[in-house]
Amino acid sequence: MEQSTNRNKKRRTYLYFILPGTILYTVFVIVPIICSVCFSFFQWSGIGPMTFVGLDNFAYLLFGERMSPILMNSLKVTFKYLLAVLFFITPLQLFFAYILYLRIKFSKYIRVMLFLPYVLSTAIVGFFSILVFDGNIGMLNSLIRNTLGSSYTVAWIGDPKWMFKVFVAMIVWQCIGSGMMIFYADMQAVSIDIIEASVLDGCGDVRRFFSVILPNMRASLSSNLPLSVIYALTMFGLPYVVFGSSGGIDNTMDFIAMVFYRYAFGGTYYGTTDIGFGSSISVVLLGIILIAYLVTFRIIKWIRK
Amino acid sequence: MKQKWKDKTISDYRTGRGTRICKDMISLVMVLYSFITIFLIAVTVTNSFKTKTELIRNITGWPQKPTLENYVTVFVEEKFWRYILNSVCLVGVALILMIAVSSLLAYGVAQYDFRGKGFLQGYFLVGLMVPVQLTILPLYLMLSKAGLANIYGLMIIYAANFSFAFTIFTRFFEEFPVAVIESARIDGAGDLTIFAGIIVPVSKSVFFTVGLLQFIMVWNDFFLPMVFIQKKSAYTLTLAIYEYTCNFLKNWDKIFSAVTVALIPILIIYFLFSEQIVSGLTGGSVKE
Repeated sequence: MEQSTNRNKKRRTYLYFILPGTILYTVFVIVPIICSVCFSFFQWSGIGPMTFVGLDNFAYLLFGERMSPILMNSLKVTFKYLLAVLFFITPLQLFFAYILYLRIKFSKYIRVMLFLPYVLSTAIVGFFSILVFDGNIGMLNSLIRNTLGSSYTVAWIGDPKWMFKVFVAMIVWQCIGSGMMIFYADMQAVSIDIIEASVLDGCGDVRRFFSVILPNMRASLSSNLPLSVIYALTMFGLPYVVFGSSGGIDNTMDFIAMVFYRYAFGGTYYGTTDIGFGSSISVVLLGIILIAYLVTFRIIKWIRK
Repeated sequence: MKQKWKDKTISDYRTGRGTRICKDMISLVMVLYSFITIFLIAVTVTNSFKTKTELIRNITGWPQKPTLENYVTVFVEEKFWRYILNSVCLVGVALILMIAVSSLLAYGVAQYDFRGKGFLQGYFLVGLMVPVQLTILPLYLMLSKAGLANIYGLMIIYAANFSFAFTIFTRFFEEFPVAVIESARIDGAGDLTIFAGIIVPVSKSVFFTVGLLQFIMVWNDFFLPMVFIQKKSAYTLTLAIYEYTCNFLKNWDKIFSAVTVALIPILIIYFLFSEQIVSGLTGGSVKE
């Protein structure tokens, strides 16, 4: 008898460990996700009765006369940025990781300095961006004014032609470090025997990167790429701080997460403040993330073959 | 030992002269590039000691008459100490809650066998993939109904988003030798005693790394505080800085000292613990 209760107790003790976390996580992470998806089929102002409207929120979002251009523009901006992440920022991270791996001079110093902006908050990075790029008081323009003359100054963060490029430059400065360090750590895990063999075969540094290092970096690519994709698709803080709540002139930098914020929390200024409608934007965002996820996994799988 | 040998071998390979010059050029470019960061920080710090009139003429130079006036304004009139205190409280409570809950959970999942274990492991990873935008509206409604749409609600939300901490803890606890735990159990120690008395002291470094990474995340977060904190007296440091950047010219004199105040602690933490930050970041994602 005593034996059996003892064993029973032993079996149940894991509940002490997993219950608090499971409850907290379920209530504050999982339930809200389900709620959001449900809300998106309703019209509801947050108080009062909820009206079931089926797919009307999505229809208005995608085809509504007012909403459709805003959503399409934000999708365009977000995807443009995603392409920049995949085809410019990620390769740049790989390149930086590789030059650290090759132990160029001062590589330890370079590593520490490149990674540093990672620990700075969006507000501080936004402050630095305005300090450098602002059209009137920015340091870049005062430098141009003093050297080339004032006719060459550009309103960097107010000129649609430049905004995206300037933004990518800020992101490179702030975010290059994390991916770079992940790739760098993975490069160091490449077996030394393979490297040695490639050296004996007379393989140069550039060639070695493409034929030896890169094929051996599946682990970090397949874990880092999906994270980069999510990070890119949910971009919010920096464009909000630097370009304002609706992405600056002509909504050039209006990311989908900013549209969501405006319509979910923006108040009556933007017309509809509807919980259901706001949720439908976040559900669309989730759908895009899932599709992007599947596509990246497919690509990674395809590369592995 | 093994690590050292590996490191050495890479740089030991002799390369041709052309390649060496090429590499030196790259390293020169990178060093020049790193000066941008140093320059930005230096300008911010030096400008915080200039008066408003001097700032208009002289943005990049050394302060002619260094003054602490801006710091006095920022701390006394703008009550910046309050924002610092808010940030510290928010991060402190959120981190303690999150680490306690997620380490217990990870230990339970890693060391016990029960039905549905595989499902739970996947279940707790959902948080890594779901955007914050998807959860925030229901959370806001839920917490405002409970009167918690403020800094306290925020603490709970951060604590509940422990997916990243959970993955790192699980990976560590799975490798923890079972023999140690078994022998303690034979000696009559209860499960919670084993956890608090044996596991936690041994895994201090993991706790520290997780804490450090989550500290950076919560301390710097911008979106959630913006949604949840309306009262100015409850602002976090990030929000206070953001408000200054919104009215850049109006706060032209105060903003530099405000940013310096926000910058210094995080820089100190970075230079003290950059190795741990990097190892936590890479350890969490490289191993498959």
